[in-house]
Amino acid sequence: MRALLRRRDLISGAAASGLSASACGRQHGPPARVSIIRAAAYTEDLTEKVLGILNEHKLNVRGKRVVLKPNLVEFDPGKSINTHPAVVRAAAEAFRSLGAADVRIAEGPGHRRNTRELAEAAGFCELFPKFDSIFTDLNLDEVSRVELHRPFSRLRELYLPQTVLGADLVVSMPKMKTHHWVGATLGMKNLFGLVPGSVYGWPKNVLHWAGINECIADLHGLFPNHFCLVDGIVGMEGNGPIQGNRKTAGVLVGGGDALAVDATCCRIMGLDPARIGYLQLAQSRGRSDLNDIQQIGESIRTVQTAFELIPEWRSLRLPSLTGGRS
Amino acid sequence: MPVICAETPTAELISAIQSAQNPDGGWGYTGRSSWTEPTAFALLALASGGSLSNPFLQGARWLEQTQRADGGWAPHTSVNISTWVTAPALLALLETDRARSLQSAVNWLLSQTGEESTLVDRIRRAVLGQRLEYGQETTGWPWLAGTAGWVMPTALSLLALEKAELRGRASGTRSRAQQGREFLLARICEDGGWNYGAFQALGYQANSYPDTTGMALLALHGSSSAKVKNAADLAEKQLPNCRSAQTLCWLRMGLAAQGRSPAGAVDCPRDRGKLLDLALVVLTRATEDGRARIWGAL
Repeated sequence: MRALLRRRDLISGAAASGLSASACGRQHGPPARVSIIRAAAYTEDLTEKVLGILNEHKLNVRGKRVVLKPNLVEFDPGKSINTHPAVVRAAAEAFRSLGAADVRIAEGPGHRRNTRELAEAAGFCELFPKFDSIFTDLNLDEVSRVELHRPFSRLRELYLPQTVLGADLVVSMPKMKTHHWVGATLGMKNLFGLVPGSVYGWPKNVLHWAGINECIADLHGLFPNHFCLVDGIVGMEGNGPIQGNRKTAGVLVGGGDALAVDATCCRIMGLDPARIGYLQLAQSRGRSDLNDIQQIGESIRTVQTAFELIPEWRSLRLPSLTGGRS
Repeated sequence: MPVICAETPTAELISAIQSAQNPDGGWGYTGRSSWTEPTAFALLALASGGSLSNPFLQGARWLEQTQRADGGWAPHTSVNISTWVTAPALLALLETDRARSLQSAVNWLLSQTGEESTLVDRIRRAVLGQRLEYGQETTGWPWLAGTAGWVMPTALSLLALEKAELRGRASGTRSRAQQGREFLLARICEDGGWNYGAFQALGYQANSYPDTTGMALLALHGSSSAKVKNAADLAEKQLPNCRSAQTLCWLRMGLAAQGRSPAGAVDCPRDRGKLLDLALVVLTRATEDGRARIWGAL
């Protein structure tokens, strides 16, 4: 375990590694950079777009092991719940073209016990003909114990999948969605899928009892250097993350600073990131600033589309969209 | 591992299960180190054939050796907490009478409740002015201590306690088991089946799932409740929509426990045959043809 963590920390933590210059922890450094790229449909050439984002962030993944972590929750053909497989395929192709030695897809859904069944229903087996050979069910993976240092939650340790702990780069690939417990589910919340059901059950209720926002911030603390690539082509509004409605935002959002990526997505969705609990917590540790983000590509203003909110979360609406009323 | 389909002979599945056994006697989820849950279901599958073979005995020994001092089991020997896997471990060890006293495992299960039904949490909610939500007045079992009760661990714990009583290996479980049944009955969704947890969240109706519905039907075998009959009706309709062997198996075992034998062949999906899939298919076939009952009665 120690060896696994050291390897990951060495590779992802040092700027000299060149893996992700923008992903390195920064205090009072230059603003985090977040790319916003228009993508109107899943039938577009998404590989070029993803490659553009990765190049923009100067990711050097040559010879590295990359784990793509989509958000797989449920299957319902009429809804837009899961990260679209076309986006994941584009990311896989882009990372391979950049020389990654191994690109795996890995996920540990919180509801459905049969992850492969879920992935198949979500269309992954169709787009990845050899899906079984590149997929790891994180709910059933071998685990190692990881201590949480200065946790926000009451958790002191977590057992986490070795596939993720041994990766050189974890790429969180969430769907842009509202969430009925925390307001929005994006790159940081997607890390809940790293927590194995074999240990914690389905759902991973321990994360709720220990404080959802706090646990999201704690997981972010364990994987501060993960890259985020958000499927915002068609997201979900209303009672997300499962029962909400489709919402077209027409964007891919990416960057090496998860807090900045999530904050950018919130603004695109018409939400005030400063009112999202886990973003407040993550920002409090001083690694990033919600208001110090350099947007690359499209501006927020040109792609912003207000996601519908359930009554419990209407206070999240950006003041600029409510005429100053919160 | 063989691809599972309706035509795959049971003997072939059992052979594959035996081949997947680790040298330490246990079984893994994915063919690597031994985990408690797949070991327990592999043992239940092997025992459903009626004889306790050497692989069974070796697996039972692994389970005995990995029982924790508090009476429960951790999911894996590298994990330092007892969890819901205690129920399947107990179900498996109750298949043999050579196992040491299992009262400590029963006691561990009896000590577990969903956090929302503990006195401390009820006081906390009262102080905060929070009302009890849907079905929270009933007492189920959590996945692990300090969290809420959920349908799956409650169903498995109920089955384990009942089996321990039936096999004469424990006593004093009936009132707690009754609480568990009430928990399940209080959690039925609007569509008639069971979700993983509550039937509502934030006022929105939750949908049921076939695997949780199957598990709950299994645990509620013998119930005369009209709600359970309705759930079995729903389960029959859900059968054709099952996409995996595991889901189909739980639903079929649930229906068998309710005395239902759906007309017509119900094919297993062509799953790739992970250990748990193989074990559940064997167990389901034995349940349907009356050779085994996971809760112990024959």
